[in-house]
Amino acid sequence: MLEIKNLHVNVDGREILKGLDLSLPAGEVHAIMGPNGSGKSTLAYVLAGKNDYEVTAGSITWNGENLLAMEPSERAAAGVFLAFQYPMEIPGVATMTFLRAAVNAVRKARGEAELSTPDLLKLVRAKAKLLKIDPDMLKRPLNVGFSGGEKKRNEILQMALLEPSLCVLDETDSGLDIDALRIVAEGVNALRSKDRSMLVITHYQRLLNYIVPDRVHVLSDGRVARSGGPELALELEQSGYAEFGGKAA
Amino acid sequence: MELPVQQFRTKAEQAYLDMFETARAGLPGARDPFVAALRDKAIEAYGRLGLPHRRIEAWKYTDLRGLLSDAHPLIRATGLPIDAADVKEALGGPLAMLPVFRLFLVEGELRTDLSDVAGLKSAGVEIVSLAVALEKPAAWLKQALGAINPRADDSVVALNTALMTGGVALRVAEGVTLDQPIHVIHLDGTGEPASIFTRSLVLAEPGSALTLIESFAGLGLRGLQRNAVTELRLGAKAAIDHIKIEREGGDAVHLGAALVEIGPDARYNAFQFSTGAALVRSQTFARFSGAGSSLDVSGALLLRGRQHCDTTLLVEHAVPRCTSRELFKAVLDGEARGIFQGKIIVVPDAQKTDGKQMAQALLLSETAEFDSKPELEIFADDVVCGHGSTSGRLDEDLLFYLEARGIPEDQARALLIQAFIAEALERIEHEDLREALSASSAEWLGVRPE
Repeated sequence: MLEIKNLHVNVDGREILKGLDLSLPAGEVHAIMGPNGSGKSTLAYVLAGKNDYEVTAGSITWNGENLLAMEPSERAAAGVFLAFQYPMEIPGVATMTFLRAAVNAVRKARGEAELSTPDLLKLVRAKAKLLKIDPDMLKRPLNVGFSGGEKKRNEILQMALLEPSLCVLDETDSGLDIDALRIVAEGVNALRSKDRSMLVITHYQRLLNYIVPDRVHVLSDGRVARSGGPELALELEQSGYAEFGGKAA
Repeated sequence: MELPVQQFRTKAEQAYLDMFETARAGLPGARDPFVAALRDKAIEAYGRLGLPHRRIEAWKYTDLRGLLSDAHPLIRATGLPIDAADVKEALGGPLAMLPVFRLFLVEGELRTDLSDVAGLKSAGVEIVSLAVALEKPAAWLKQALGAINPRADDSVVALNTALMTGGVALRVAEGVTLDQPIHVIHLDGTGEPASIFTRSLVLAEPGSALTLIESFAGLGLRGLQRNAVTELRLGAKAAIDHIKIEREGGDAVHLGAALVEIGPDARYNAFQFSTGAALVRSQTFARFSGAGSSLDVSGALLLRGRQHCDTTLLVEHAVPRCTSRELFKAVLDGEARGIFQGKIIVVPDAQKTDGKQMAQALLLSETAEFDSKPELEIFADDVVCGHGSTSGRLDEDLLFYLEARGIPEDQARALLIQAFIAEALERIEHEDLREALSASSAEWLGVRPE
């Protein structure tokens, strides 16, 4: 259960989140929509614990724990996963090396046994196959030379391997064509369970045809302006964000 | 009336002159006219030049005259016993276990009792102890010693020529390719502060190929001042991979120089891995004397505390169609100081020269410093030459990405630093050696190697 109460966040001295309230029960998928500048990505980064995002008021509790008191790696161990909008390229760090470090760090923090390299390789190959990721790409440095779609699928691969209980997907659909979108959505849907909550941050309604949310929240000027069922997304597609202070792009 | 100009000498400068006076009669080859003349000429040059100081452009960042407060006494070889455990301790496990031909230079002399001389001979390598060879130098030695890309203006090399007590001279026969590297293990000794002067020669006859590893490590001698010069001559179509690993004691001074002459269609690849000494000046003087050859001089420098490591290269394209590449990566922590000076000279006739140079520093603290000075003197017009340098801190966004995936901060930093170093290590062709140095980097970072 994720509880965000009256969250105020400054970035570079400017207040971006101005009293955001959100409740995400276990097993549910909630969509976060809203015009540019409404604070969607800020919310994602604050949940993951990025520096430069100053929480000036409010609280975030995850399964009763104060998330804001935890380092990013501790939050990952507690089950938080952020699928980045712009996944990072890390030259010199092979994808498998990275996956091994991440998977075993999280398992160790949770008191589970670390996976041996052959076991991990088998697991990675199996999950990669479902996401149509070429196994040869795993030998390359992380995300280097990957297309946008390949990077996004790599994020979902990591999600599948780390088995988080809170998934925050930050505009996972941006830059994807229809086929890539379908593969990513299938990967995400395959991870839906009653023990897993998801926040799907998106600008467009299209993704939500594939990943059907339980609830939709519209962010505007740093707060949740409206919440509703999945049909709210379709309404927005008709009317746009004008009502929520959004300007035409 | 002309007043004689009294040259002011520092304590250390005078000490070297006194050291030579005292040791002269007992140095190897003292009774051979060629060797004696070579040494006398060298000490005379040193006497004129003195120790290098910061007003000499090539020593701008390393004022050796100011930094050396004294010259430690010339080491006395005691033939001290060395066992496998000592070697493992000095070199670290992975390096000690590499399958190689081993040659041990201990306390400035070649230890035939510890070295694989017979193995090398049957592999097609002529090998002599320099100390022995100097007593009655063969014609080929006289043609090589002090004659390979000689530097008349370098007083550190001159001191080495004057005071050299031992080393190894290797000749790889024509067309011979060695199936495993030659590892020259330079150890110091134990006990009181001392100076060690070693000189080695490597002659790769036409068509030959070898990997030469020179490791410099400590057995516990306090206050080592080491001056090690290696002269390398590559015949036509010869290839040398020359890896220098400096892991001296933390209070050591390491002055090293490679004098290289590259014949036609030959290849010289060098790698410097430096982590140990307090003060390092590593010089490579390379000259292309034959067209169509290539050179790659690269390195990884891991420095912390108050270490000072100066790498200075001079590459002369004296003939056409040669390629030179330089890639140096420095990781600097604490108040460490890393220096990279890369000079490339392209003479008017050296058309179709291709030279590239890159120096990069990762600064892990506010007080670390990196000085990077490229110098390109290009007198030919059909050339491609470029240089670049970057320095900066670890990328915060990359760190966050790793941490957000559950990797704790220390481990994330180590991963990124190792990735930075890995690009340089890739220049080493020998896979096991690359792995060994990768493990040494991990050790330096305090990370348990996998």
